[in-house]
Amino acid sequence: MSTGLTSTVVRLKLSLLGNGLRQSAGRRAAYIASLVVVLLFAALQLIGLIALRGNAHAATVAVLAVMVMALGWAVMPLFFPSGDETLDPTRLVVLPLRPRPLVRALLTASLVGIGPLFTVCLFTGSVISVAHGPAAYGTAVVAVALALLVCVALARAVAAANIRLLTSRKGRDLAVLSGLVVAIGAQLVNFGARQLGSAGLSQLDPVGEVLRWVPPASAIAAVDSMGKGSYGTGAAQLTLSAAALAGLLTLWSRTLTKLMTSPDQSTLQAAEPGPRQRGSAGLSRLLPPGRTGTVMERSLRYVWRDPKTKAAWVTSLAIGLIVPVFNALQGTGSIYFACFAAGMLGIQMYNQFGQDTSAFWMVAMTISSARDAYTELRGRALALLLITLPYATLVTVVTTAVLGAWPRLPEVLGLSYALLGAMLATGAWCSARFPYSIPQEGYKNVAPGQTGLAWISIFGGMISAALLSAPMIAATIWLNVAAGGDARTWLLLPAGAAYGALITLLGLRLAAPRTARRLPEILTAVSKG
Amino acid sequence: MNDGSGAGTAAVRVRGLWKRFGEQIAVAGIDLELPAGRFIGLVGPNGAGKTTTLSMVTGLLRPDQGTVEVVGHDVWRDPVEVKARIGVLPEGLRLFERLSGRELLAYTGRLRGLPGAEVDKRATQLLDVLDLAGAQHKLVVDYSTGMRKKIGLAAALLHNPEVLFLDEPFEGVDPVSAQTIRGVLERYTASGATVVFSSHVMELVESLCDWVAVMAAGRIRAHGPIAEVRGSAPTLQQAFLELVGAHGRTPGTNLDWLGGGTR
Repeated sequence: MSTGLTSTVVRLKLSLLGNGLRQSAGRRAAYIASLVVVLLFAALQLIGLIALRGNAHAATVAVLAVMVMALGWAVMPLFFPSGDETLDPTRLVVLPLRPRPLVRALLTASLVGIGPLFTVCLFTGSVISVAHGPAAYGTAVVAVALALLVCVALARAVAAANIRLLTSRKGRDLAVLSGLVVAIGAQLVNFGARQLGSAGLSQLDPVGEVLRWVPPASAIAAVDSMGKGSYGTGAAQLTLSAAALAGLLTLWSRTLTKLMTSPDQSTLQAAEPGPRQRGSAGLSRLLPPGRTGTVMERSLRYVWRDPKTKAAWVTSLAIGLIVPVFNALQGTGSIYFACFAAGMLGIQMYNQFGQDTSAFWMVAMTISSARDAYTELRGRALALLLITLPYATLVTVVTTAVLGAWPRLPEVLGLSYALLGAMLATGAWCSARFPYSIPQEGYKNVAPGQTGLAWISIFGGMISAALLSAPMIAATIWLNVAAGGDARTWLLLPAGAAYGALITLLGLRLAAPRTARRLPEILTAVSKG
Repeated sequence: MNDGSGAGTAAVRVRGLWKRFGEQIAVAGIDLELPAGRFIGLVGPNGAGKTTTLSMVTGLLRPDQGTVEVVGHDVWRDPVEVKARIGVLPEGLRLFERLSGRELLAYTGRLRGLPGAEVDKRATQLLDVLDLAGAQHKLVVDYSTGMRKKIGLAAALLHNPEVLFLDEPFEGVDPVSAQTIRGVLERYTASGATVVFSSHVMELVESLCDWVAVMAAGRIRAHGPIAEVRGSAPTLQQAFLELVGAHGRTPGTNLDWLGGGTR
């Protein structure tokens, strides 16, 4: 009976995979490409780990690699819940299944896929790098299987325990942010690796000492211990991993039982007590009265509460900081890179109405003249400036400090402000002229069929913004080249600020009548998401 | 607002309204006068063009041809006068869902230029009457369909409009919420204001409205006081089926295996 269930679930998983691939050639290509990349990567790290064989730090590296992998397994289901439909046990809730055979079936099914394949490669590499002698090789076979099972069981237990979160609105919000976490995580790993490259592997040894006793890394460490003849330690480490596996399986099985026998979440949600009042009175008191303050407040709330807007902002803030400052830290940067922050943040002014989605109708119903449209756009620009202006200033000052180029601070700040003004002006105009929809689900930022529109809007706008800043750039070059000009570069700061403000006002003035005239067209364009 | 000029003037006057989406004609030349101070139902099967018509009447969609006047002002030439006088609850468009119910009302009211204190007072009363006080600090994204319709209705009523346009206000709404919405709307029309709402549920229209316009395939098939449109038919449903030509369509013997103990 239970073997029947296991093979059914494994076949279900295979047909889900197959059907997904059959659906579109693009998906098939993506799958094959990722398979090739993963296999290449797996082969590379396998070679790398084998090359480490005999190195004094081999055990540390192996143990760390296994732990990072396990961490990945634990975190992945939280960020990519839709990746595997068999991960959601509530789909099976109407079937008459007992938890024990179900756990066995789901665990087996989890072993099918690219992820487990890559994990096996990595673990195999790890044990090869540390295994010496027949006892170690014998242990290695057990260790790899054990470590893999711990990883899979960990992922399943985490997913089952958080299934309520994963299928709720908060979970879907989290998934939108996941790409960001991966991107920033990659940056950190990159930075850490570079640090390590200069400082050497030995500084990791203390961490390795601890991780040796943490499952599933302890299984791999057992191979090392066996190879060195400390059979007692090895057995203890192996037992620790086995115990962890048993514990995780019990936990998972219990959660499954609870999930399959308790009422479904829509019932529970309705019974939830209402949340506390949101503190916002403070914010609105600081903002100007009338439409301006109302628009600013809504825009600022959306930066924090709307996952798409938040992701866009965090990306802009992070890249706007990383490019100039990291370049400066590595000594390869120019102080003028600091303008990057203003440019990145200015992008947020683009497609303002697309960020509203079809809720734009609420705004459209209250705009009946160019004056209303102007106040609306100005409010949005002010909300943006509230974050952007201090941030761009901060990035510029930090970059200057790292490079120690204080005399150039005024001119770079002036350039930043002028660029920011130009971005706001072109952004407002493009919002009115080239609006497009932002789908609320998934990672895409443009609705199908509107990609061209988005490119025109953003790249056309950025080129125009660069052209609009040309007078300031020319003035900067002239003062730097002209004899005695250096003494007067401080003038570029007030000049840039004034120029930026002027050009923003001009852009808003031009965009407002266009917005007021094209309300139905804008609404249609932003309602496709 | 309601200056009582009621019966004589039209709340909405539509002339020669057309809308085409590619090959498909959604609205094929509508001429219609909706009397002020009435509870008006715009009925028709799915795809009849009700939503398209309401979108064009409220200024959210530009018609290919034709004019629309609301309380004597042209929607496209005189938006200042029109937008202040109408309230809208569209179907299929979002709200600002990342605001809480109360924040959404505060935002809408202030955007409409009402003084802050007045907005907050009206919002409190509307939330109370519409039974949303308990959920006022919850984000609208977490609201149920019925709650969304109710908060949308509150936002549409906040500035006390003369004419209220509601697109399928009872679609997917539970009976309790529907009764609440009904109560508020009846009170609102009793004061002389006009409600125009679309629906495909005839029983509902029959019990709520005193004036109906029947739409099918982008045209108005009949309009007038409900008794007139119903004519000799026993119910509005019957009259409607005859009007749109769907009468007498029965399953016949095609599904004779369905039901009964036999397999």
